[in-house]
Amino acid sequence: MPAIRAAAPRVLALVAVATCALIPVGTVLVGSVASRWYWPAVIPAEWTLRAWNYVVSGSGGIGGALLTSSGLALVVAALAVALAVPAARVLALHTFRGKRVVLFALLLPMLAPPLAAAMGLHAVFLKAGLADSFTGVVLVHLIPAVPYATLVLTGTFSGFDPDWEAQARTLGASPWSVWTRITLPAIAPGVALAGILAFVVSWSQYVLTLLVGGGRVLTLPLVLVAFQRGGDEAVAAALSIVFVAPVLLLFALTAPLFEDA
Amino acid sequence: MSSRRLIVVLSATIAAACGSAGPSEMFPAADLARMTWSDVTNRARGSTVRYAMWAGDEARNRFYQGPAADALRRDLEITLTIVPLADTSDLVSKLVAEKAAGLDRGSVDLVWINGANFRTAKQAGILWGPFVQALPNLQHFDPVAFRHDFGTSTDGLEAPYEQAQFVIAYDMARIATPPATFAELRSWIHDHPGRFTYPAIPDFTGSSFARHFLLHSGEAPPAAFAEHFDAALYARASRPVIQSLHAMKPYLWRKGETFPATLAELDRLFVNGEIDFSMNYSPTFASDKIARGEFPASVRTFVPDDGTISDYSFLAIPFNAPNPAGALAVINTFMSPSHAIMRAHAMGGLFPLRLEHLSETDRDAVDALPRGPATLPLATLATRRIQDAYAEYVDRFERDWRTEVLQR
Repeated sequence: MPAIRAAAPRVLALVAVATCALIPVGTVLVGSVASRWYWPAVIPAEWTLRAWNYVVSGSGGIGGALLTSSGLALVVAALAVALAVPAARVLALHTFRGKRVVLFALLLPMLAPPLAAAMGLHAVFLKAGLADSFTGVVLVHLIPAVPYATLVLTGTFSGFDPDWEAQARTLGASPWSVWTRITLPAIAPGVALAGILAFVVSWSQYVLTLLVGGGRVLTLPLVLVAFQRGGDEAVAAALSIVFVAPVLLLFALTAPLFEDA
Repeated sequence: MSSRRLIVVLSATIAAACGSAGPSEMFPAADLARMTWSDVTNRARGSTVRYAMWAGDEARNRFYQGPAADALRRDLEITLTIVPLADTSDLVSKLVAEKAAGLDRGSVDLVWINGANFRTAKQAGILWGPFVQALPNLQHFDPVAFRHDFGTSTDGLEAPYEQAQFVIAYDMARIATPPATFAELRSWIHDHPGRFTYPAIPDFTGSSFARHFLLHSGEAPPAAFAEHFDAALYARASRPVIQSLHAMKPYLWRKGETFPATLAELDRLFVNGEIDFSMNYSPTFASDKIARGEFPASVRTFVPDDGTISDYSFLAIPFNAPNPAGALAVINTFMSPSHAIMRAHAMGGLFPLRLEHLSETDRDAVDALPRGPATLPLATLATRRIQDAYAEYVDRFERDWRTEVLQR
């Protein structure tokens, strides 16, 4: 049965990956409802919904933080993709002088130490009157989000043949229908992946949100980090689940898009 | 859309997002001399106060979002908005940057602060004040208690708020009688290798733990370290203490080759049975953790007979607070007996107000406050209380600990 023998390593790999992915999430899930859980006990002595009661009670401002985080990440993802599509197209399909410099500049926000960059950006945003506002936080999140989105889409565009567009145009298609019928369908998986990445980058920002948002723009990471440092593990665990759930959901919803790609 | 129109639309959006500030309520602290307290409360009535505080504690967050905010809305029509901080130094850095950028109108009215953060803030000139003498409820606090904050003179820039005292936790199931003095604790550590450790400096609680040996060195009474820096006294007292802390290292958890970085790690080692003691600045912390199921019910706290450091945390107003009158009204309310009693019910902690100034009803309410199973009686804590050392002793000692204990 050669087919099964060939499949065995793949199944094994899948199980290994699934275990590695699920164990941390599972531990956090147990931690959020555990009470009196001391070494060497494998299982907590008591179970409690204390942390979850707090998370849903509204007295920690978690609902508001969830809304702000989602709205912020969606706006950042949309803007990042809008900026990244033309940039990636040029980078993938054209050669021009200084292309390497542009690429380096694009990668710079991913290379610079976040805290140092954040302090400098904070000063710039203060002078521009953009600190402590939602707009300011959107702009500052774009700085790390756009490079990721652009890199993903550059890969997508490098497999894209612009002759298809030329062909459609010679057949009389308007620029709009070229875009909606030829270009967009071809790059859709890349657009989705870039959007998700930009969403996750914005979703997980702590330092930039704290400095530029000034506590006025309250996102989930700001609430979560306070509990992690405070040592209340149950609440931190429950908040961690609230924090990762939307991202997992997003991946699950968009997974069909990548099956063909 | 042409690029010029795009720019116009974008800048209009940005302006709309930033320009929603409303009329200015700011005034310099010097004006307080010409104002009565009712002038302050009249200005404060109906305003919003943005309170930045460390928000890593569930009971604390619940209290300020709930009963504390409700009382302010009822009595002064003030809306209290919490700005949660993972670390107060985050706000201090932000204010320093705002000062450098010349941002005169900030976003925070009130901050819960003490120690090194206060010292940094005071040196950087990012606090509004002095204002403390204008507060009617100042009479409820012992004047000695708020003159210094970790040895830094407060100069009326921060108002006393909560009181803390260093306590050590142990588990009755493992330790029958805890050591009676810091010297006995040191012998215990030598007799039980690997069963004790403390968070590494610069952790605030770990630093205090080590500093107790300096204050109890016997070279001078603890109070001698409180007022000003005496280099000769420091040299005389610190040398044997640093030596003995170095000698203690091989008897610590993992032979002192590594220290826990935070209190959260220390607590984890303690409940998992790797070490036999934990420590904290909140005298009620063990009771709180028992109630939350984080500590076993057999945990208790103790304070060695020679006494532990007790200090205050404070409330301060940033230099660019948009609503200083509101901040002053909130601070005064937070210093009232009714707030302190409410707070003690909600989240434990020491009762920081002078008992002899309380009305009979308030006194009865204080006497009736519930005390957790692991919390020492107020009277025990009060008789075993010492003042912290002047800031420069703390700095020097931390530096010496790092070079002579940690790195050797």
